[in-house]
Amino acid sequence: MAQTFVEKLMSKKAGKEVYSGAIVSIEPDYVMSHDNAAAISNTFKKIGVGKVKYPERVVIILDHEVPAPKESSATNHKEIRQFVQEQGIEHFYDINKGICHQVFVEEGFAMPGKLIVGSDSHTTTYGALGAMSAGIGRSEVAAIWATGELWFQVPETLKIIINGEMPRYISPKDIVLTIIGQIRADGADYKSVEFTGETVLFMDIAERMVLTNMAAEMGAKNGYVPPDHVTFDYIRGRAKAEFDPLYSDEDATFFQVLEFDISKISPAVAKPHTVDNYCPIEEVAGTKIDQALIGTCTNGRISDLEAAAKILQGKKVKARTLVIPASWEIYREALKKGYIETFIDAGTLVLNPGCGPCLGAHLGVMAPGEVTFSTANRNFKGRMGCREADIYLGSPLSVAASAITGEITHPGRFL
Amino acid sequence: MKEYTFSGRTWVITGKNNEIIPDIDTDQIFHNAYLHITEIEKMGQYTFDNLEGWKDFSTKAKPGDIMIAGSNFGSGSSRQQAVDCFRALGVKVIIAVSFGAIYKRNAINSGFPILMFADAERIISEKKIKNLDKVKIDLSTGKLTKVESGETFSLMPFSKVQKDIYDSGSLLNI
Repeated sequence: MAQTFVEKLMSKKAGKEVYSGAIVSIEPDYVMSHDNAAAISNTFKKIGVGKVKYPERVVIILDHEVPAPKESSATNHKEIRQFVQEQGIEHFYDINKGICHQVFVEEGFAMPGKLIVGSDSHTTTYGALGAMSAGIGRSEVAAIWATGELWFQVPETLKIIINGEMPRYISPKDIVLTIIGQIRADGADYKSVEFTGETVLFMDIAERMVLTNMAAEMGAKNGYVPPDHVTFDYIRGRAKAEFDPLYSDEDATFFQVLEFDISKISPAVAKPHTVDNYCPIEEVAGTKIDQALIGTCTNGRISDLEAAAKILQGKKVKARTLVIPASWEIYREALKKGYIETFIDAGTLVLNPGCGPCLGAHLGVMAPGEVTFSTANRNFKGRMGCREADIYLGSPLSVAASAITGEITHPGRFL
Repeated sequence: MKEYTFSGRTWVITGKNNEIIPDIDTDQIFHNAYLHITEIEKMGQYTFDNLEGWKDFSTKAKPGDIMIAGSNFGSGSSRQQAVDCFRALGVKVIIAVSFGAIYKRNAINSGFPILMFADAERIISEKKIKNLDKVKIDLSTGKLTKVESGETFSLMPFSKVQKDIYDSGSLLNI
């Protein structure tokens, strides 16, 4: 019988043919965690098996609070370094690599046809390279460390077909915020979301990662882009292992198929305090902002920095502006291309790669009554630390344009 | 043998106009400012302290209470504390129209009973179940009974995997 991508992958792993709804106990190829590996290692120790079953499948990347802003985070980092040493975990990346989701991809763990899980909700990102990847809880990670396997319910698949040429002021972030505005925060609850269509075909890996990263914000179990020559070009020389791309059959059973034509959409904004609180940028244009944030696992890649630099070139920012490249590989490239100089000349703060203020831990926490316009993926109340502050979400182009004027501004004005 | 029936007072998580609140995210349930807390006993006090109208929930909730929430409850981050904080308060069962994908797994894997109630929105808007009503819930049949009137409602019962994990305590005991 015809199968979707995720049905094929889970069938292969389970060694029997399974379809959506079935429960399988299978072995992930990689299990990722970040600073929360400290808490996970404590849970793991309580299980009492002593040794991690497959240390070579464990990937730990420190990114949430780097460098440590307080004693408790420093202690967490210390515990993780000790644990990694004791357990012989070789895929450990300390505070000098970048955001876990970016580093995981750069280091070649994200490969077509692999099953990847991680103790972070935006683990969905790796589906941009044709993997099945999903966020799970901490205790589940501890269980995988101990046994190597975990149960899954095979998800149904929601196919999203995106067609049309992106106008020059539109980016994948605008597309995905527009889609979330329509299908809402639970529109893809526990679904495998497959992004296809000619627009996606012409996107590079960084752009596809925006779609799969934001799949978490529609409630998806995972996001997936069918791997093609763009994928294979990217992972050539990076891939950590052999891989076998998997694709949905044409006649597979899909939960739903939705089509979007994006050739005429406006730059999209998510208003406080939910990601599905969509509006076209025109509707909130003129809203004063105190802080602008360009970066995060959603929009901190080289194409995002390029977009921001294009707008900030030769200008000065009015809002205090934070720029955070998603990894040191990206930082280095931005340095070579002159973007970092552009950012410094514009009066922005270029910070070290990491999650930064996105989750309110440090490096740009807000004060009551303030407004941030951010390229991140979440604007929940209190997300950036302060509960009496407002967060608007948008694309790097929109945020850069607004940083200059100090109010939410259509990026077309500077292009 | 684990307990399969619970009776207790209900908390219906509604907003200003008595509508059941959808999309309550993990930052509203257990704010990121407390993520460093890993001892369950310390979590209860922060439950819902970032949810408008419910900031005093931890002082109102009593062990044995049963909670009813809207769709996509627990969307957002993967934090386990958003499940454990209810356990700390002694809440026995969380019923919701639907749950966030990771939240659902966190609850099931930690052996915390959750049930889906597709019709909750209508039942609540018609005020058939209100705060502090006494109810009885059977996890294996999904039957919810209002003690006073004897009225019953059908919820989705425990799935097999949910039952297996619940019976053994948690995923880590299987």
